[in-house]
Amino acid sequence: MELLTTSVGSYPRIGDSPEQQKLRRAYERWERGEIGDGEMEEIYREVTKEVIEEQIRAGLDQVTDGQVRWYDQFSHFARRFDGCEINGLLRLFDTNFYFRQPVVVSEVRWRVPVVKDEFLFAKEVSKVPVKPVITGPFTMAKHSIDRHYGNLECLVVDYARALSNEVRELEKAGALEIQVDEPSILRSPEEFEIFAEGVSELLEGRKEARIALYTYFGDAAPLFDRLLDLPVEVLGLDFTYSRRLPEVIVKAGCEKDLGLGLIDGRNTRLESRKEVLEVLWRILPAVESERVYLNPSCGLEYLPRDVAFQKLKNMVAIAEVARGEIR
Amino acid sequence: MRDKLEKLGVHLPLLPTTAVGSFPKSRELKSARSKFFRGEVSAEELRVLEEKETREWIRIQEEIGLDVLVDGEMYRGDMATYFARNLDGFEISGLVRSYGNRYYRKPVIKGEIRWRGPITVEYWKFAQSLTRKPVKGMFTGPYTMMDWSFNEYYPSREDACMDLARALHEEAKALANAGAKIIQVDEPALSARPEELREFGVKAMKVLTRGIDAYFIVHICYGAFEFIYPEMLELPVDNFDLEMSNSDLDLVELFREHPFTKDLSFGVVDVHSHVVEDLETVMGRIERALEVLPPDRLWIDPDCGLKTRTKEEAIGKLRVLTEAASEIRRSMGETRS
Repeated sequence: MELLTTSVGSYPRIGDSPEQQKLRRAYERWERGEIGDGEMEEIYREVTKEVIEEQIRAGLDQVTDGQVRWYDQFSHFARRFDGCEINGLLRLFDTNFYFRQPVVVSEVRWRVPVVKDEFLFAKEVSKVPVKPVITGPFTMAKHSIDRHYGNLECLVVDYARALSNEVRELEKAGALEIQVDEPSILRSPEEFEIFAEGVSELLEGRKEARIALYTYFGDAAPLFDRLLDLPVEVLGLDFTYSRRLPEVIVKAGCEKDLGLGLIDGRNTRLESRKEVLEVLWRILPAVESERVYLNPSCGLEYLPRDVAFQKLKNMVAIAEVARGEIR
Repeated sequence: MRDKLEKLGVHLPLLPTTAVGSFPKSRELKSARSKFFRGEVSAEELRVLEEKETREWIRIQEEIGLDVLVDGEMYRGDMATYFARNLDGFEISGLVRSYGNRYYRKPVIKGEIRWRGPITVEYWKFAQSLTRKPVKGMFTGPYTMMDWSFNEYYPSREDACMDLARALHEEAKALANAGAKIIQVDEPALSARPEELREFGVKAMKVLTRGIDAYFIVHICYGAFEFIYPEMLELPVDNFDLEMSNSDLDLVELFREHPFTKDLSFGVVDVHSHVVEDLETVMGRIERALEVLPPDRLWIDPDCGLKTRTKEEAIGKLRVLTEAASEIRRSMGETRS
């Protein structure tokens, strides 16, 4: 079995040193109209390159582009779809992060690629595989105000159809693995069927790319069995919300690749080797797939930049110890 | 709960009016604060400015006619790091994004949390010395301090929260000993993980308030009350200060189902909007509250702190809620004041 380390989403776009503040300063100037879109794009590219290099320096086997140009994971897509407007700020789950809420006013339709160019740039500057991330249809729908459909299922299906274009564009651009974020299903287990319909609609027509469905900010234990039935290759799980999860995995067994979110992406405390390895040794015998990822429980922008880097380095060191044992 | 207030020597009219906590700082004070953090302005110089603006806000509140005053929080930057800097066991983190291009610093729990001495008491005494009306003592509560901090020391969220409750119990005691009769505990995060209210949120508030002779208010905002109601009524406090206007008052419907059993400070103006509500709107909101609560259990205030509004907007909002309350008092034939 292969144990790989990966990022699962955002990376802090600024840090405390003056050099690490350039995106913040540029954004202020861009908002005031002192620099144009072209110059802003240059800064985004520089910072994307830096956060990719930082992840590689930490020793990751797979990275993301850090989502440094995303305002948040909902409006980033919705603002480019037909049928969506963008509303005021709302708290993201139980974090202290706020997102702009999409308002669906007419049929949701895909117009232009949203993350393809971001992925192409990241791929070009990265020495290791880059995993693009999209927000899943169910989570998009649960974070939107619906003024058009009046029916969750219809909204999920139309978001899924729109987002399936993103999957196809990313495949064409050469993505080998695509991450789909669906944290909302953990909070609405009673709507699993609608969620599952969204996933299959999203993946309609996909070809080669592996799909990594990531859940976080909640306890996946009660849903684990049902998540295993989804047509995806990787299942990402947040262990920071669930004491029961290791036991549930051991009991159910698992033929999918797992993304083990054993590194808390929300807390600055560095995990000890012992606490991570203990859970790992418990779970791995029950996993029948070829590959397991060790990763943070969620995107890393909830941490200061220097801590995010330390977390990744620590995670890589733990993975190395584990690999030695697996051999 | 009016009996409790009377016993404490606090005599209030029906529908007492108050503010939630913060008022806007002047540009001069804001710039002095950032210079202070860069070491360019001394603590004494900053203090002079803070006192000047506190005096001004006490004067404004008296002139408008609020019944229970606040100090306006001229000495605080935010709700969490201010207290973290003044408690043992905390450090402050690097920058973290909160939304768009906004970044903030978070407290980091690095060791055992302990109260090392009064944090808000001197400011409270200063503000209270300026007026004969009661000034609320106030600080951020244990659950919110825990939820808004990184935790590198305690094995669980509950352990962190309980030690915070013990430390803040000392702060509440110090305020009460200094003469504060009304103490407000700010718990905006209380609905973050609803199950934790049952597991340890209520317990923490019991530790905080135990044995202290004061009228306790808990201020909760950021909505999602539907997930913690009616359980939240088990919190051992006298008054709940809730954000109402910004959620289209759907709480009133909730109170119809499960009667509200404590005093309620009812937010009647939206603090996120620049528009000052008109008298009719605010009176309408008070009347809706009176559908589910008797008048002797209702207080009137803004949804939340007013620090993000301009001074004129803040004054406008306080004025309209005071006028609305006295109109309604008049219509109820209330003569005492």
